Amino acid sequence: MRRTHWSAAGFAVALLMLPAADASAHGFAGNRFFPATLQIDDPNVADELSLPTLTLNPPSSDQPSVEEFDISAEFSKRITENFGFSISPTWSRFSAKGSPTVSGWQNLELTPKYKVYVNEPHEFMLSVGVETELGGTGSKSIGADRVSTVTPTIYFGKGLGDLPDSWDWARPFAVTGVIGYGIPWGATNTTDGEPTTRPNTLGWGFTLQYSIPYLQGYVRDLGIGAPFNRLIAVVEFNMETALNRGGNGQTTGTISPGLIWAGQYYQVGAEMIVPVNRATGHGIGGILQLHFYLDDIFPQSIGKPIFGP
Amino acid sequence: MRRPTLILALPALLLGASAALAHAFLDHAVPAVGSTVHQSPAEVRLRFTEAIEAALSTARVEDAAGHTVSTGPAKADAGDRQVLVVPVSALPAGSYKVFWRVLSVDTHVTTGNFRFTVAP
Repeated sequence: MRRTHWSAAGFAVALLMLPAADASAHGFAGNRFFPATLQIDDPNVADELSLPTLTLNPPSSDQPSVEEFDISAEFSKRITENFGFSISPTWSRFSAKGSPTVSGWQNLELTPKYKVYVNEPHEFMLSVGVETELGGTGSKSIGADRVSTVTPTIYFGKGLGDLPDSWDWARPFAVTGVIGYGIPWGATNTTDGEPTTRPNTLGWGFTLQYSIPYLQGYVRDLGIGAPFNRLIAVVEFNMETALNRGGNGQTTGTISPGLIWAGQYYQVGAEMIVPVNRATGHGIGGILQLHFYLDDIFPQSIGKPIFGP
Repeated sequence: MRRPTLILALPALLLGASAALAHAFLDHAVPAVGSTVHQSPAEVRLRFTEAIEAALSTARVEDAAGHTVSTGPAKADAGDRQVLVVPVSALPAGSYKVFWRVLSVDTHVTTGNFRFTVAP
């Protein structure tokens, strides 16, 4: 993995040396700030970095049960004010009772994304993207797919701040969501020499959020002090339905309640991961993420789009 | 295990980034957001989480009918670059809404609004 070593070093140097541009990011739609949620991609296009994201997935329902631990990162960079891309490497370790532990890199994920529409008074944001898993870029040791998957995806976010005054208690709520159609780039996968067929999938999910900063800044100042005045309670519903080729409409997914603390330059998030059914797994997992707002840390350099204001 | 260690090294660099500035959020206001006061304030004070460019920041107060009741442009507090002050005349009992739009010193724009009530 010498190549990966140099890639990481080059990535770090590039972060510090990219030329200055001009503008600001952050996920605002009017008064609403959409934080970067841990599993469901938020609708904003921004200059940001999730590093690291540590995920202990719920054990699988296989016999013996397989435990997966992931360390991942995601770097997002705006090309223009509303168009950007993100790149996400993930290192995984799989362990099962009675079997040797295996580890390696998952396929690299690359996502160009465009923010189509923002309605500030109604705190609404809509984006489109193409999530792309690059087949063959991961480790054979963990069975990373040799086949790429392309997933055209729609992202949205809606804050409830436009509710009438009599609904003040509900105005700090917001919903974000995604829906994407996953298409394997070639129907067969010859990992381990065994031809397999992967189905097309519908990836869908949403988050329900309640923002203490919104409550105190726009609705009612309850005098909640630091650090609790920057907390956003969140529940993420992250689902995938297999649509064909033997998938039989099987849905797997997780429900993840947790908290995000959103500071001035970075946010920290933690969630519990609960599988929705036996096909997904059993038991409880967890996820922890440190996320940087590059537009605030480096407002005159990599926190700006490459082209535009 | 050295490979994931590389991933974990960069956060320390970013956490140590110096001279960082950020979006200005409303930290607190007087009268407080959503509060009810029993006497008209002489001014509305908005304190933000970051220093702001007062000359390029605005704020106004409207009554329930949408009429502007602030009596002049918002001005910076002489002793605190994080505070914007909006002058108002004596406000009769009623509901009022404060609208603000501020530019933080690193050129990030944020906006917001909130209500307060003057009770008899």
